[in-house]
Parts: sequence; structure tokens; C-alpha cells
Amino acid sequence: MMNVITNNNIQCTIALASLQDVVDPEIGLNIVDLGLICQIDFDDATNKIYCTMTLTTQFCPMGESITNAVKETLTTTFPKYDAIVELTFDPPWNNEMISIEGREFLNEK
Amino acid sequence: MFTTIGNTDTSTTTSWKVVLPFYAYAAIAFLVACLLLLLSAGDFTGHYFHPHTLAITHIMALGWGTMMILGASHQLVPVLIESKLYSNVLAYISFASAAIGIPFLVHGFYVFDVGLHTQCGGILVIVAIISFLINLAVSMVKSKYENVHAFFIFTATLWLLTTAIVGLLLLYNFSFSVMPKNSLDYLPLHAHIGIVGWFLLLVIGVGSRLIPMFLISKYNNTRQLWWIYGLINGGLLAFVSAFLYTANKSLLTIPLLAVGTAIILFGDFCIRSYRQRIRKKVDEQMKVSLLSILMMLLPLLSLAIIITLLIFTIKENISLVLGYGFIIFFGWITAIILGMTFKTLPFIVWNKVYHHLAGKGKMPNPKDLFNNTIFKWMSIAYILGFVLFTTGILIHSIPVLQIAAALLFVTSLLYNWNVIKLLLHKPAMS
Repeated sequence: MMNVITNNNIQCTIALASLQDVVDPEIGLNIVDLGLICQIDFDDATNKIYCTMTLTTQFCPMGESITNAVKETLTTTFPKYDAIVELTFDPPWNNEMISIEGREFLNEK
Repeated sequence: MFTTIGNTDTSTTTSWKVVLPFYAYAAIAFLVACLLLLLSAGDFTGHYFHPHTLAITHIMALGWGTMMILGASHQLVPVLIESKLYSNVLAYISFASAAIGIPFLVHGFYVFDVGLHTQCGGILVIVAIISFLINLAVSMVKSKYENVHAFFIFTATLWLLTTAIVGLLLLYNFSFSVMPKNSLDYLPLHAHIGIVGWFLLLVIGVGSRLIPMFLISKYNNTRQLWWIYGLINGGLLAFVSAFLYTANKSLLTIPLLAVGTAIILFGDFCIRSYRQRIRKKVDEQMKVSLLSILMMLLPLLSLAIIITLLIFTIKENISLVLGYGFIIFFGWITAIILGMTFKTLPFIVWNKVYHHLAGKGKMPNPKDLFNNTIFKWMSIAYILGFVLFTTGILIHSIPVLQIAAALLFVTSLLYNWNVIKLLLHKPAMS
């Protein structure tokens, strides 16, 4: 698993697997391996998923599409939950956050 | 652990409604410029101060280069300054003023009637630049994030305004004697403030952000960029002083060396970014853009020869000056735009069409929204047309110029084909 903070490892693994379908349209790499997902917490009392993520650059023109896709994917994967996606730019994204798999993908492509 | 901004409001990006008209206008301007080039190819064996050459130069500089840059800048400024664009209304004013002003100006040059309607065209272009400058300045003031790229864009726009004001004065100078010498004598001043101050400064300012971003490069050197900024502005100020206050042509080597060093430093910045990239595969659009960086050296070399000849023979080589101008507008600037259009426009269109549908099914990638085969043929026609036309200017051959102009016209048709395909794209999901 990536360095994603969570309060539920099992659910988080499922969430990350589903989020691998969300691809950054410019780079062609999924947002999990790109290192955009920072934290996923599950609140069973209120049936909410709190996903904290970043973007490769603040004011990224594709940002709205990517966050919409994350919300939609989490809601589809966990139909009983309501997904809340929040953005963070502290710390800002840098290319060290790309996973080993992501680097292999970019080197191959 | 993380400081969230509390929501997913990423709609701070500039609306496509602001940006797309600039792209569409620039595409049409390129087509018109290439058509005029085809009709006037023979004029490129004569003097550069020819009505048709002036018209083509201005449609390329303003309708093609500047409109495209203004459009892209409205989209990129929020990314560069990490803040929302201040006003969409100012952006619309900027577009409308330039869109109306440029044809008046170009038509005036083409028929060489530099009267009231041409002057009104010039004034409208200035209104467009001032609107953009205000929009940029307020956006920058509102941003908490200051960076070198924003300074490049802001200073470049100040130079653009200076270029336009000098241009308007030159227009008035045809009818009333507002300047000590003939307008023709000031053309090098007007042209170089525009080329170096506006185009070069802006291309480097934006390119130094976008090239590492698209390559996912580890390289970043702000200090190097500040040096480039200082060398270009210092060189340009030295050129203006030397031009206005001395007759010693050898002093022109100082700005040439300063700007030349800046270009070499930027080349070094690009090479280091390229070598330290994580993304190994470089797409065709990026290759054309990187080629345009290399093409910066061609006008520099031509200018060095022109200045050397000026110093030693006191006579201007007309074909070389024409070739120099052609290399800048149809070479360097056009190559950048041909590459960067298909690196930016597909994303703007994709965002417009698909952002509400994200995550709801399989959708095409932005790069699938235009025809890559057409793009490749466009690139081939362009490179052949550019090389042949430059050769035609230097060897004074009208048939070569006409064949080359036809190839460039084909380039503009293929470019417009892909731009129209993008602009008219409708959702396609499975």
C-alpha cells in the first residue's frame, strides 16, 4: 500500500484499488501511483468516507475532473457511504511522491 | 497531518468560455496569414518595408502569436500564480478589442492606408493589452504566491504595451510628424521590443514552468531563471538606449550578447529538465515545442550576421533582414504554437465536455480528441514549407517561395482541421 494514512486498512486497500481506475489525463498514470491520495478515513457512525488528496499543481485545470472522479469512484465502490473529498497542498505534491510502480510505468511509456 | 483547504472547489480554473475564442481566432488568423503569404510570395524578393509584408507580419504577431498567447495565458496564469484570474469580464474586453482592432490594423497595412481606421485598430489593440495587464496585475496582487514565472509574464506584457504604443506613434508619424525621423527608421526598435520583450520573455517565463511540468522533471533552478530575466531585460534596455542615443552600431553587440547568453541559459535549463525527467516518453507535441527552443538560435545567428554586416559594410542586407523576420514569426513562434496548441487545447476541451462525467464511465483521453496523423502531416508540411521559404528568401527565387507558401498554407489548413475537430467535439462515452 502507498503511504496513505487511514483508520481502516482493509477498507482503504479496497478504496485504493478502485481509485487506480482514476487516471490523470495528462500523465496517463493513475492517481494512486501518482501519489495524489494522502488519507482515507471511514466513519461508520455517519457512513462517510473522508478522502484527503492533492493535485500535481494547485489550480490544476484538470483538478475538478479528478476530484469528481474520486468522489464518484468511492461512492460506487462503497454504496452505503457518502464520499467527502478534501484537497490539501500542505505539503505540496512533488515527484518523489510517485510510487515505484508509477516510476516504472513512466519509464516504460 | 495535512492542512486541507476544506473543499474540492477547483473551479478556480479559468472558464473555457474565456479561453476558447482566443484559440479559435488565432487559428483563423494563421490561415489568413498563410493565404496572404501564398498570394504575396513574390513580394519576399523585395524590401521588407512592403505593405503586404507589414500586413502579414502584424497578423502573425498579433492575430496568431499574441492572441494565442493571451488565450493560453488566461488559462495558465492561475497555475503560475496559484490564484484565480481576477476578472473574466476584462478577459472578454481584451478579446473583443483585439479581435476588432487587428483586422482594421492589418487591412490598413495591406492597402497601405494608415489613416483613421488603421489608427483605431492600433488603439483597440492597446485597449486589449491594458485590459490583460490590469487583469494580470490584480490577479498577482491577490495571490499570496510570488514567483519568477509571474514576473516574466507581467514584464513581458509591459513590453507588449510599449511595443503597441511605439507602433501607434509610428502610425501617426506617417500622417503627422510626431517623431524626429521617418517611421521606417524606428522599425527595428518597434520590432525588437515586441520580439524580445514580449515573445521571448513570455515564452521563457511560461516555458520554464510548463516544460519541467509536462516532462515531470526533477530539475528546478529559480536562480538561473532570474539571471535569464535580468539578461533579457538588461539587454533590451541597452538596445533601446543604444538605438535612441548613439549611432555606433558596434554597441548593438552588447544587447545581442546579453540576450544570446539568456537564450543559451534557457537552452541549458531545458536540457537539464529533459535529462532529469521522470517521464521518459516524450510526445510529438512536446517534441515540436522542444524543437522551437532550438529554433531560437536561428534568429540569433541571423541577427549576429546582420549586425556584423552593419558594422563592417554600413549597409543593410535586405534578404537577410527579411529572412530574420520570417524565421522569428513563421519559425520560432509558429513552431511553439503548433506544438503547444495540441498540448493545451485538448485538455481545455476535455474539461469542458467531460468534467461532469468524470468517474461515470470510460471516456476518451484528451490526446484522442484530435487526429494525430493529421498532426504529423501538418508537422512535415510545416518543416518543409519553413525551410523552403527561408531558402527562397535568401536565393530570391519566386517559384521556391510559391511552393513553400503553398506548403505553409497546407500546414494552416491541417492545423485548422484539428482545431475545429477539437472545438466541435461532442461527448463520446462507453
